[in-house]
Amino acid sequence: MSRQQRLWTPLSSAVLRRVALSSSPSSSTINLAAISQSPFRLSPHSDNSRLFVSHIRGLDFLRNFPFSGKHFLCSQSALSLDAKCWNCNAAAEAALFLVCPSCRCIQPVDQSVDYFQIFGLEKKYNVEDDNLQGKYKEWQMKLHPDLVHSKSEKEREYAAEQSARVIDAYHTLSKPLSRAIYIMKLEGVNINEEETISDLEFLSEILEIREAVEEASDSQALNQIRSEMEEKLKHWSNFFANASQNRNFEDAVKAIRRMTYYERVIEEIVKKL
Amino acid sequence: MLSLASKRVLQGLASRSPALQAMHRQYHERVVDHFNNPRNVGSFDKNEPDVGTGLVGAPACGDVMKLQIKVDDSGKIVDACFKTFGCGSAIASSSVATEWVKGKQMEEVLTIKNTEIAKHLSLPPVKLHCSMLAEDAIKAAVQDYEAKRVKSAASTKAAPTATDA
Repeated sequence: MSRQQRLWTPLSSAVLRRVALSSSPSSSTINLAAISQSPFRLSPHSDNSRLFVSHIRGLDFLRNFPFSGKHFLCSQSALSLDAKCWNCNAAAEAALFLVCPSCRCIQPVDQSVDYFQIFGLEKKYNVEDDNLQGKYKEWQMKLHPDLVHSKSEKEREYAAEQSARVIDAYHTLSKPLSRAIYIMKLEGVNINEEETISDLEFLSEILEIREAVEEASDSQALNQIRSEMEEKLKHWSNFFANASQNRNFEDAVKAIRRMTYYERVIEEIVKKL
Repeated sequence: MLSLASKRVLQGLASRSPALQAMHRQYHERVVDHFNNPRNVGSFDKNEPDVGTGLVGAPACGDVMKLQIKVDDSGKIVDACFKTFGCGSAIASSSVATEWVKGKQMEEVLTIKNTEIAKHLSLPPVKLHCSMLAEDAIKAAVQDYEAKRVKSAASTKAAPTATDA
């Protein structure tokens, strides 16, 4: 029961906060007084079912949030369970909690913080912020194992884990294809399944291109093919951006597949150049 | 002394071709053999009536595999060839596949399982999908040939009617 109460805590407090902020008590059926007086320590004969209904309503309410309810709840629960700095016990204010804002002490990895959040970016394909590298270096300044050698063993361990995660995040987000695959992963669509495709038209095209690369005799011919591939990548990258924005996952996966093949051609060209 | 000599030889090999050495370490000798001396590389004219073409791809790694069969009137595969752009395992798998289908009946080659190819080449689990690709390529080639037969049978049937009319 106590475990359940802990899980409910962030949700009900979130509901409470939103209700208090934006809806008038008269129009709301939620018993605000009951919740605010004793939201978690309900006596057996208190209005349990009513509170539950208010939670459900609260969920609907959260769906209208600018970001998805899933992520909101996720970061909230992560906050509530791990909200305190292990070192100085200060409560975290933001969802991103790599370094304690109060004692600057490095925190353990929180998997609910996604790569976009690490860089303070909106979760979408087109990354407008071109300062990804700058932010990456900033994090590494704080987390690099060489720079935390004077700290405790525990903190050095956390720093190593966080640093590895920031490196993964940077590499994933800095390349369009891996960024696209990551976005699909966050949406619960797995791309790297080991299946076979038999799209004749597309595969014939790829076969022809690969033969052309194989037969290309000079760097001029190879560069010509490369620029064609870059054009195609640009096209399918835009296609993916639209598809993922419209939550058309079938088209999004199709775009990722094409991009994988064209990237592969470029890799082969680079090997030959 | 002997071990020192072999070490030197190995070092010499490594410095000459690190990729080749890595491959020797990782793959079974049959994979290396098929990779270095692939059997039946080439193309048949896909528009020929006795040719079946299987074209398949592994989207996860960007591999593409073409396997073609030449079939006689009795349904026996008299020749086969392949062209694969992919990793060593994919090339070896398709090379083995062309060797295995030659001289067999079409129904017979449909029973070739990827696990047999994988076992023959001792492919590691992460490379099993390469042998799967080869199995799918065989099936696609047979399917293409059969579709062609049905089509030509329909057109030869249709042709006399056309002349009659």
